[in-house]
Amino acid sequence: MPHQCVRCGTFYDDGANEILSGCRCGSKLFFFVKKEDVESAREMNIKLTRAEKKQIEQDVFDLIGFELDKERPVVLDLESIRILKPGKYELDLVHLFKKEPLIYKLSEGKYLIDIPASFKAGRKT
Amino acid sequence: MQLFRKFIQKVFGNLFKKKKHVRLGLYGPPNGGKTTLANRICQDWLGEEMGTVSNIAHETREIQIKEQINIKSKGKELTFNLVDTPGIATKIDYEDFLKHGMKEKDAKVRAKEATKGVIDAIKWLDEMDTVIIVLDATKDPYSQVNITIVGNLQARDIPVLIVANKMDLKKADIKRVQEAFPQYDVIGISAKNGQNMDQFYEGLFTVAG
Repeated sequence: MPHQCVRCGTFYDDGANEILSGCRCGSKLFFFVKKEDVESAREMNIKLTRAEKKQIEQDVFDLIGFELDKERPVVLDLESIRILKPGKYELDLVHLFKKEPLIYKLSEGKYLIDIPASFKAGRKT
Repeated sequence: MQLFRKFIQKVFGNLFKKKKHVRLGLYGPPNGGKTTLANRICQDWLGEEMGTVSNIAHETREIQIKEQINIKSKGKELTFNLVDTPGIATKIDYEDFLKHGMKEKDAKVRAKEATKGVIDAIKWLDEMDTVIIVLDATKDPYSQVNITIVGNLQARDIPVLIVANKMDLKKADIKRVQEAFPQYDVIGISAKNGQNMDQFYEGLFTVAG
């Protein structure tokens, strides 16, 4: 299954070294893309400008980044939140309420961010 | 009927256990009047407001908490921490904010913060002892957001009070809300004008007291 770099949109085959060490552009955030979605992901990749891709990467970190180690590669899969472009979001409430890992989706490309800590109970008011 | 059942549960439940601080959450879609209701409750009992309200959706994008609100009604007393949550939505589009004259950059930041707000609101659901669902009575209650919130609260067995807000508006239709959620008691109020707040507090005592 291919993976796509969030920042530059480069596709990598499953098991590629870059997925473990980081993309050539320096980003360590990847979208997991289903085989049948690769074409539409490529199209979307062309439509988004470089600045928009960078913004999406930044937005993902802003949304959940405090939970992430930026130095480690992260692969995003499934979809609870779909980022169509910067500022446009679609949320799958059923997934979110199920407390499944937070999942981000860029167009037809799929990404998973697993944040076990994000649903930890015990907040005190 | 639900109120009666809850009342019986509470009466017998309280023989063995006394909850000290009920955590009361305000949930619902954007612009239903959650913060307006929170402000009304705080004004009524603390003499101060809790948050800012706006006609532009997603004004509340972070969880807001007001602690130790003590309300009294007919010799009864209830102390709770009030938690105002961001509106839950399935789609957040910065272009909707542009229509209100917001700059594109600000609108995109607002959309991002609103998205995070939805995630946070859902995360906090398990922390709630009682939830007030605040709905805009002028709008169709059969929305994916409303059905999902109610269904999840039911599954978690969290006591719920549904408020049909904005009853001061002509288009408001409490019957439609009652028909959509027949298993719950629905109280029609205007948080803005303070209309029917007595009945609201009575309902609150029955559900959370």
